[in-house]
Amino acid sequence: MRLSRLALLLVVGVCFTPMPALAQTFVFGAQGEPVQLDPAVITDGISSRITRQIFDGLVRYRGSTTEVEPALAEKWEVSRDGRVWTFQLRRNVKFHDDTPLDAAAVVWNFERWWKSGHAQHENQVKAGQTFEYWEAQFGGFDDKSVVAKVEAVGTHTLRITLKDPQAPFLANLAMFVFDIASPRAVETSGTEFGKRPVGTGAFKFVEWKPNQEVILEANPDYWGGKPKVKRVVVRNIKDNSQRLGALKAGEIHAMEGLNPDDVAVVKRDSSLQLLLRPTNTTGYIAFNYKVKEFQDKRVRHAFAHAINKKAIVDALYGGTGLVATQFQPPSLWGYNRELRDFEYSPAKAQELLRQAGFAQGLSDITGEDGKKEPLIFWYMSRSRPYFPNPKEIAEAMAADLAKVGIKVELQTAEWAVYLDKRKNGQLSLYMLGWTGDNGDPDNFLCYFFCQPGASREGFYANPALADVLLRAQKAVSQVERARLYRQAEQMLHDDVGRLFIANNQPPLAFSKRVKGYVPHPTGSEYFHTVEVQ
Amino acid sequence: MRRYAIQRSLTVIPVLLGVSVLVFGFIHLIPGDPALTMLGERATPEKVTEVRARLGLDRPIWQQYGIYIGRVVRGDLGVSIVRGDPVLADLLRRFPATVELATAAIVLAVALGIPIGVASAVWRNSIVDSLARLWALTGVSMPIFWLGLMLAWFFGVELRVLPTGFRLDTGTTFAPWTNFVILDATLQGNWPVLADALRHLVLPAAALATIPLAIIARMTRASMLEVLSREYIRTAEAKGLSQAAVVLRHALRNALLPVLTVIGLQVGHLLAGAILTETIFSWPGIGLWVYESIESRDYAIVQGASLFIAVIVVGVNLMTDLLYAAVDPRIKYD
Repeated sequence: MRLSRLALLLVVGVCFTPMPALAQTFVFGAQGEPVQLDPAVITDGISSRITRQIFDGLVRYRGSTTEVEPALAEKWEVSRDGRVWTFQLRRNVKFHDDTPLDAAAVVWNFERWWKSGHAQHENQVKAGQTFEYWEAQFGGFDDKSVVAKVEAVGTHTLRITLKDPQAPFLANLAMFVFDIASPRAVETSGTEFGKRPVGTGAFKFVEWKPNQEVILEANPDYWGGKPKVKRVVVRNIKDNSQRLGALKAGEIHAMEGLNPDDVAVVKRDSSLQLLLRPTNTTGYIAFNYKVKEFQDKRVRHAFAHAINKKAIVDALYGGTGLVATQFQPPSLWGYNRELRDFEYSPAKAQELLRQAGFAQGLSDITGEDGKKEPLIFWYMSRSRPYFPNPKEIAEAMAADLAKVGIKVELQTAEWAVYLDKRKNGQLSLYMLGWTGDNGDPDNFLCYFFCQPGASREGFYANPALADVLLRAQKAVSQVERARLYRQAEQMLHDDVGRLFIANNQPPLAFSKRVKGYVPHPTGSEYFHTVEVQ
Repeated sequence: MRRYAIQRSLTVIPVLLGVSVLVFGFIHLIPGDPALTMLGERATPEKVTEVRARLGLDRPIWQQYGIYIGRVVRGDLGVSIVRGDPVLADLLRRFPATVELATAAIVLAVALGIPIGVASAVWRNSIVDSLARLWALTGVSMPIFWLGLMLAWFFGVELRVLPTGFRLDTGTTFAPWTNFVILDATLQGNWPVLADALRHLVLPAAALATIPLAIIARMTRASMLEVLSREYIRTAEAKGLSQAAVVLRHALRNALLPVLTVIGLQVGHLLAGAILTETIFSWPGIGLWVYESIESRDYAIVQGASLFIAVIVVGVNLMTDLLYAAVDPRIKYD
């Protein structure tokens, strides 16, 4: 072996030049191609990881928390009624095209996102793009929006007036979508701005080689201090194993998208290190409330005692999972630490089933029309951070259920079909999950439970819960909001409305030479603190 | 001959029409609403309707096809659903990378496959033959993604002598003229880039060449065996010609005709194999692009690229057939 290796080395060494060193450059291995690099219209993590390096928002998340700290806005005040926000912008900040960052530029950005008649909004919509997150976070465009007025009241003073107080306002502004672009560059490039992005961020855009890589260079004038590397290269490597190969071969310094089985490989390798992104994702099982059997709380309660969550998390999450007790992941400030989860107890599950009249077990369900049909447990056909191996996880849960006499048939559907059936309320029992956008509890709970009886949520109707969530959305004090979210989690738990299975902390792998990378729950990570030794 | 050429060329038209119907139809038979796939878990019903209307998915299917084919004839393959870029321009920009890879693979397959096949036939049932046949059998049945991963792992990760993917190193700056990196680097006399590009080409080309190499070797062997048993070979041997002259001048020339057809047919397989090879090696050609587009259900790209690949395959086969007639004077077409 040794001889043949030597011989190979010799042969190949003669033909090929050695690898060049990668000093001063940080190479990140991404799972795919960015969609485009205009933060206002993108929604995916691969694109936003790059735009976060090029742009800044008014505010940003601190370190690896979802708390908000100053960025382009140095400080701000809010009126007593929570409707008028006044921001003082940082002075002497320039976009990469040398135009100044001032209040007028920020107003221009807001109007572009907000007003459907704005020339740089209209052209995007015509080209098939939408300002999706503006719509989602600020209630819609034009008059529909919660934003009433955005004005420059000084060269570096910005005032935003809202129609109603919006509790997650600052958390929303910290999202990558609301990063500030150079108005001149947007006007020059139009819909091509996403290929030639210009912001104020720590890195300037250099080049995008399609299907290969995006190259950035350090912005020496960055207001937050000079970046520690001169260049950043984000390489697109589709295959998870191949990406790990590239990391081990030293061709890249960092990667996302590890197979759960490869976590152990990275831990064993002395030249690599593993970092976990704080969890921001929850996988759950949902019941369809049109199914007669699931309307009985004792049956749902039996499910909760039957599933051994800890065993599933230990066996199938590669050591990066956590047992979920509620919908919010523990990193959120609305998380209810007092909440006591259902213990794993097949005996209790059997007892509850017996009380509910299913002493012989449960294998058929009754639909609205009274017809009996086999109980189908739908599992996802696609891996998501909250359920990295959906099929294996579903099989484990089905085995747990079988132990207490609940017999399910496992079934899946192509991802789009699956989502479609879920939307129309056609799945009797199914797996799904959620990954948070802005670190606000509202973003986890309200989308699901503010509209009681929605077909999308298996017709689950809990008006009291919806009421608490809507109150929390309007409350200004975070202390009060946190209390309401804790209450909401307890209500959801007491009703066994849904079963929360696991949170996952997506793993990132790095070469040991990399220092200063701070993983963030939303995936918004900044490279200017990264060093490559 | 000319009549044959014209007739043969005309058969291409119904084939291409059929291909366009298939390409169009298949994509609409795949379950799932592309609008919903694009929007994911967060889709609201209004958004889905809006996106469906934007993509024209709310029209009857025959109308969608009519609009599609009308545009295709005018050289418009539509725009990407996800990125909004024109499909044809993107295709042409990525195609050179695939051509470069496929050419390297076919050259490798021919350069090794024919000699192996010849040696195998000449020394029939010897150890050389057995090894060659074993190699060919293994090659034909090798899953290309597995082989690709193994090659990258061994040469890239364990030995660190070759890169695990991409066309050029991260640090390499190069302004290509045509996107044929090897050609451009040669024309520009940029030797470091040429060396870098060749290093990157070795593993993907080897992975992609494996199956065609095995097929060509087997075909050459079979064809050679048949020719070697012919009487004119005996005559040539009886005349006292050296074995090399008999094999190379008399046998091989005749044995190569069926091999030529097989090589032509391999072009289709190479383009299909390129999808896996390019994905494994992050090779920025149309294969990787198609793979990504299938994942994101970018209908326009999948349709455009499938049609484009089909046209190439049909074209290459047409050329092979015509070439066949030209090369073999014994064949008459009337």
